[in-house]
Amino acid sequence: MADNVEAIQKSIKWYFIIGALLILFSGLTVGLSYVELPTHSLNIIVGMILATIKAALVALIFMHLSHERPLIYKVLAFTVVFVLALFLLFVFSHGDPLEFEGMYLHNE
Amino acid sequence: MDIPYTVHARPDTGLYNAKIGVWLFLASEVMLFGGLFSAYIFLRVGADYPWPVHDLDVTLGFINTVVLIASSVTVVMAWAMLKLRKFGWYRINMAITVLCAGVFMFNKTLEYKAKFAHYAVKLSDGTFLTGHLPHGYQVKFGDVTEFAITIPVKNSAVTADPVGYVLPYIEESTAPKFKTEDGKEVTLDKATFAELSAAALKKAEAEKKSAGTFKLTATAPLKFAAKPSEIFGYTDTSITFRDGTTATGKLIDDKMTLEVDGIDARGVAQPDNSLAFDHRYLPDWQKAFVANREHHLAEFEKNYPTRDKARSATLQKESLYFKLHSATPPAEGAAHGEGAKHGAEAHSPTPHGAEHGEAHHPTVILEKKDITFFSNFTPKLNTYYAIYFTLTGLHGAHVVIGALVLAYFLVFDNKRLKHDPEHLANRVEVGGLFWHFVDLVWIFLFPLLYLL
Repeated sequence: MADNVEAIQKSIKWYFIIGALLILFSGLTVGLSYVELPTHSLNIIVGMILATIKAALVALIFMHLSHERPLIYKVLAFTVVFVLALFLLFVFSHGDPLEFEGMYLHNE
Repeated sequence: MDIPYTVHARPDTGLYNAKIGVWLFLASEVMLFGGLFSAYIFLRVGADYPWPVHDLDVTLGFINTVVLIASSVTVVMAWAMLKLRKFGWYRINMAITVLCAGVFMFNKTLEYKAKFAHYAVKLSDGTFLTGHLPHGYQVKFGDVTEFAITIPVKNSAVTADPVGYVLPYIEESTAPKFKTEDGKEVTLDKATFAELSAAALKKAEAEKKSAGTFKLTATAPLKFAAKPSEIFGYTDTSITFRDGTTATGKLIDDKMTLEVDGIDARGVAQPDNSLAFDHRYLPDWQKAFVANREHHLAEFEKNYPTRDKARSATLQKESLYFKLHSATPPAEGAAHGEGAKHGAEAHSPTPHGAEHGEAHHPTVILEKKDITFFSNFTPKLNTYYAIYFTLTGLHGAHVVIGALVLAYFLVFDNKRLKHDPEHLANRVEVGGLFWHFVDLVWIFLFPLLYLL
């Protein structure tokens, strides 16, 4: 737990390093968004991977999740499950469109 | 009363109260924004129009990203400095964090204002013209004398209210006078109207009619000016207001003066023959449009010879969404549409009369019959702007609230700073966790809305 003075002193350097890394990754994301990959979906995937890396850095280091208590991890595990379910709902509904007398109402 | 575990951790969980509380709260916030991101996915996948990519100001968005990242560093530094009892540094870092929030919201205001002032007009053939309305857009009606007022007997959503729905759009400076059917001269205000409608309703109930009606005649012909959304409808000789009141007169002008900065022909079967290049509008720009299209098609062919042109949304946009950067088309052989220098075209004559000072864009005067739909860049325009404003608006609200909480700790918690800094450190840590969550949301928002 980052409660003792030495641990906090050590992490200060890391806060600035991670901050610089985040800005670097942001610039990289902007640059890569102008590079046209074979499909636009690939661009989106690359962008989201970079965003996830940035989010992980913020969560683990700035939000101290790298050394948190088990109870917090349990709360977050529930959150992850529910968010995944939320996005899976979309996948299911997209693959199960409304039909009226054989007419499809979704974009194929 | 002393609440336990606000400063020191509970021995069984190893956590102080606020830490558990804030993580539970953040879990709920994840679901809130997750729902909205889900909406973004639905809207994007289901869109029946080209989803905007790189249409927003990427530079401003990137500046905001850097500002939020910096504030994330300073807020965790503020906590660290407080834990180390370096109160001066704590204050400085907290102040910078709140300042960054202010900068972020200021940039957001600039972005939003630009969207409110920018318009997209859909023409009858599917072309979109984008630009600004230097004189706004109003329908002008004149020679209006006779008004027909209808008040339903039964409680109805639409009932005459000329004071609220007719008078505000009269262009006369002095209060107009009206004559009733029995020749009495009145100034129309709430009290007079109440009298007149009561009389009309009484008559209607006696005659077993469903609505009371009466006519008012203006003593002098009136002129009206109103935005299309402010009235119900009109023809060449009559105008209907939103309260059901109708009036006879003459349509003076319903043309739209638009300063055009873009021609989007992606929804047109034959882009080269778009209505935008009609002889009344921008015929001189057709050559430049075609040249731009050919240029981008050729470049795509050169760089990606094996790729399908129809499947590249970027190519469709570069070749068919033509941006205008000058008042007159660039000379043939010169820079294709884009890259034309600003400011160099001062005082160039525009097709329909020059604006004062520099003209950076051509002006067109659109006839109403050619306009299917128009809107500024707000949720009314399409679902992209709907989800853009929803997501960034809610995120902006979170930025403001987070900044207020952190500012409160900085300004008003000095007693705690002096006597119980460990407790304040916990508060700052918890406020910082909320702030980092706000930054996390932006980390996903920025690429999804601005870049991808």
